[in-house]
Amino acid sequence: MLMSEKLSPSEPAETTAASAAEQVPDWLSNRLRRMFADVMDEPVPEEFKKLLKQLEEKERGA
Amino acid sequence: MAGQDLFLEQVTELLPALRAFGRSLCGDPARADDLVQDTVLKAWTNREQFQSGSNLKAWLFTILRNCYYSELRHRKFEIEDPEGVCAAQVAISPDHDAKLHLRDLSRALQHLPVDQREALILVCATGLSYEEAADVCQVAVGTIKSRIARARDRLVELLGEDAAQVTEAVPVVESMGDPEKLRAPTTGGA
Repeated sequence: MLMSEKLSPSEPAETTAASAAEQVPDWLSNRLRRMFADVMDEPVPEEFKKLLKQLEEKERGA
Repeated sequence: MAGQDLFLEQVTELLPALRAFGRSLCGDPARADDLVQDTVLKAWTNREQFQSGSNLKAWLFTILRNCYYSELRHRKFEIEDPEGVCAAQVAISPDHDAKLHLRDLSRALQHLPVDQREALILVCATGLSYEEAADVCQVAVGTIKSRIARARDRLVELLGEDAAQVTEAVPVVESMGDPEKLRAPTTGGA
C-alpha cells in the first residue's frame, strides 16, 4: 500500500550528517512545533469517536 | 480481541497528530479530517499488515500521505491556495502577536511544494527521525535533508528577515518531544 516514489535527478542528496537542529534555525523549528501543537490541542471531533466505536463494535461482533 | 482493542486505543491516541499532519499537508481543516477518516479506515482494514513493535505513528502517517496523494491524483492537479483562503482557516486566534506569526507560517507553508512541506513537518514538527520520515515518504534520507533545506530557504524568503526576531514570543512546545530526538534519529516502537 506504500506509494513508490523515485528520486529525481534534480534532488541531489546531501551527504553531510546534518541534523534537523543544524538544518533549521530554532525560531523556525519552534514555530513549526507550536503550529502543529495548536492543532493537536484541539478536541477530537465526535465523528472520529463514533467511527472508532463502530469499528470496535464491529470487531466484537465478528 | 485484546490486540485489536490495543490497536484502536493507540490509533485513538494518535488522532490529534494525524489531524495536525493532515492539516499541514492540505491546509484545509475539513479536508484534513476527511483524510484522517480515510486513514483510520484503511489502517483498520489493513491492521494485519502492521507489525507489532514497529512505529505505528510513522505507519499511519504513511497511509495518510498516500490518501492525500491519491486524492490529488483523482483531482488531476493540486488545488493551490494562492489567496491563502484555506490556510487562513487554520484555527489560530489572532489575539496574540505570536499567533499572528504562526498564521503567517501556516500560509507560507502552503506555498511550498508538498514534498518539501511534508519533509519539513515530519522531521521538525512531528518529531520523526530522518529515517522514519524517509520511510514515510519512500525516499532516501539524503532526499529528506535536501527537501528540508530547500523548504527552510523558501520559508525564510517568504517570511522575511524579520521573522526570526519574534522568536522569543513563541515558546518552545515541550509536548512535541525531546529536541534531542531531532538530533539522534531513532527507530522502534510508536
